[in-house]
Amino acid sequence: MINQEALKELLYKMADDQLILGHRNSEWTGFGPLLEEDIAFSSMAQDKVGQSQALYQLLYDLGESDPDTVAFMRNADQFHNSRLVELPNGEYDFSLVRHFLFDTAEALRFEMLTSSSYPPLAQLATKIKGELRYHTMHANIWIKQLGSATDESVSRLQHSLNELIPYALGIFEPSPHEDQIITEGIFQGEELLKDQWLDAVTQLISKTSLELPDITLINPVFGGRIGEHTMHLQPLLDEMSEVFKIDPTADW
Amino acid sequence: MYGGGNTFEHIKTNGLENEDPQKLAQFEARIQRGEKIEPNDWMPQLYRKQLIRMIEQHAHSEIIGALPEGTWITRAPGFKRKLALMAKVQDEVGHAQLLYSAAETLGKSREQMIDDLINGKSKYSNIFNYPAFTWADSCFISWLVDAGAIVNQLANARGSYGPYCRALERICAEESFHLKYGHHCVIHMATGSQKQRDMMQEAITRWWPPMMHFFGPSDKISVHSEILMRWKVKMGSNDDMRNQFLDMYVPKIRELGFTIPDENLKKNETTGRWDYTEPDWEEFKRVINGDGPCNKERLAVRRTAEERGRWVRKALLAPKTEYVAPLA
Amino acid sequence: MESLDPRVNRLQLSQRELTSKAPLDQLGTYEVFSQLRDGKPYFHVGPVHAPNREMAFLFAKEQFSRRQTCTGLFVVETRKIMVSRFTEGEDTVYNYIEDSVEAEEGQENSYELFHLKKRGKQHEHIGTIECTSAEEGLSLVKSEFINEKPIYNIWIVKTSDIEFNQEEDKIIWNTLPDKKFREALAYKAADKIKEFKERSL
Repeated sequence: MINQEALKELLYKMADDQLILGHRNSEWTGFGPLLEEDIAFSSMAQDKVGQSQALYQLLYDLGESDPDTVAFMRNADQFHNSRLVELPNGEYDFSLVRHFLFDTAEALRFEMLTSSSYPPLAQLATKIKGELRYHTMHANIWIKQLGSATDESVSRLQHSLNELIPYALGIFEPSPHEDQIITEGIFQGEELLKDQWLDAVTQLISKTSLELPDITLINPVFGGRIGEHTMHLQPLLDEMSEVFKIDPTADW
Repeated sequence: MYGGGNTFEHIKTNGLENEDPQKLAQFEARIQRGEKIEPNDWMPQLYRKQLIRMIEQHAHSEIIGALPEGTWITRAPGFKRKLALMAKVQDEVGHAQLLYSAAETLGKSREQMIDDLINGKSKYSNIFNYPAFTWADSCFISWLVDAGAIVNQLANARGSYGPYCRALERICAEESFHLKYGHHCVIHMATGSQKQRDMMQEAITRWWPPMMHFFGPSDKISVHSEILMRWKVKMGSNDDMRNQFLDMYVPKIRELGFTIPDENLKKNETTGRWDYTEPDWEEFKRVINGDGPCNKERLAVRRTAEERGRWVRKALLAPKTEYVAPLA
Repeated sequence: MESLDPRVNRLQLSQRELTSKAPLDQLGTYEVFSQLRDGKPYFHVGPVHAPNREMAFLFAKEQFSRRQTCTGLFVVETRKIMVSRFTEGEDTVYNYIEDSVEAEEGQENSYELFHLKKRGKQHEHIGTIECTSAEEGLSLVKSEFINEKPIYNIWIVKTSDIEFNQEEDKIIWNTLPDKKFREALAYKAADKIKEFKERSL
């Protein structure tokens, strides 16, 4: 019998990450720097929100409330997303670097999950592999391009990278159930994911004029996984649920 | 989304006497045969100019139209609506790309067109100069403004310029869910709680006048252009399009129990056309020339997006690629 | 300027009426070709603007295979495409192609051939030709097409100029059919209307 608590904790943090980042990225629709890029970025935002819904659906099958209620009615201290994803969008360099750091981890996470001992999760991971492949393809091409292009683009990206790395490390905040998750084969664990992520990020950055800060000298920004968030999350949730809360029982 | 109408006001149909009469005759014969004009074909200057203007305005309408609807993406109630609205607004931006590309085949660059939008030189569909106050407003736009645009698009898809027609075919295919989604939203508002019904009725009351403006000034005060009709650039009169829309959608609005704020609105059994209170064409003129509630904001958003994105585009410019007009 | 749109408020719009004239930042133009289903030919679907081939592919994927099925996609810079004359009616472009063209010095390259089979439609990918120049290539295939239905325009381009998708990238289109929320069928509500009408009576 799989450890339900451990499994649910994993699913919640993944779903919350996807929802909040998808929501943030959707804020760029219509405001992008380039028409074709606007379309691409919006597509990926849609993918994320769709993936979060699929994960909330898995939670529902495990006895949690329905996806709409879970997504639109919880308060900030009940969300388990990393603080990385709730930060405001900033300029395009900030959003692109966040997209690169997060999606690299996400693709690796789902790759690992294709062999999860929990079949529904393994199936979902296999299904969305293709979407994630495009996301990392997109991020890599953009970071490579802008990370070596002009003085301004390099300095902007470097600045965003420096700012975001501590937050990105927060993705790998260990779960209280980390051991069970690993021994039961649900997921191979945050440590392993972090190592793979670091490899991938280092490799891509080495192809640019950017410099990766020394991870060993950085304090990761934890707290998101246990419901401790920045001041940005509650306003985001208030906005997201503004219409829904006019009447949560209504059929919109 | 596009609400034609105003495009062909103030056109000058001169300059034709400078065109080669034989080429002109062949060109017109091709159109009469129902064949498409392609970028490599000879075409009179007036045709090229009017098409660029029309397609460009359509493209601008899509990108500006993404703003009042996009307002509600972050606030859409529930996953189903959130995903659908994200997809819909994204489609609109995609449509802008298709349309700019079609206009580019006629020789105007995309950057030039966007420049003209931002500095106020080129127009876009007037209805987007109004604010979307509530979720119900977004439902109205998704259903009825889209419906109006589709009436225009279906007509224009039978036009003469190949690239524009092909763009419209793709657009119509993608739009099939937009209209259904919009109607679905309004039906839910109508059949939901009293709060939902009231919100929807209020939105309908507010948006009806701009919707009546959507197809452009009434025929009797409009500039007629025989030549643009003959060249299948303009496919129907403003009143024709408006009547088609009213035929299709007034019954659907009324069957949901909503009141349309015009007691004179009814189908005249004798003429087969709709009777209605004459819309305020002075207001229309005022708004389309810059004095509407949202004109400044819409352009400020585009301007800001362009400015903020400039460093990105600069970083993308490589010496080895060069702008050329697309082939088809 | 206070907006109704919270996203716009976060943008902090510039208040100035005028903005410095932007230099035209023209990106290159790429033509996009898409394959709807395995085994079907690739068709031209439209252009994207991009700074290089890689990005052109990235953009083409979302612009042209976001809402339709797709099993393959490629892009090529517009400037690299060689275009023949246009013909009409019964006249085929192959009437104007030389019967034979001398092979050039040097090795053979591979070229991709596209035909416009009907005015108003888009170019279709026909196949690959090994030859030393585009002109030679067309003369080599002339006999194959001269007596068939007329071809109204030819595009021919070096295969090496094309950015294809990798075989392992095909999975990026896997979930296209799953996005039901983008289909009209997901929005049926006729029974709600019926129920409403009955209630109102």
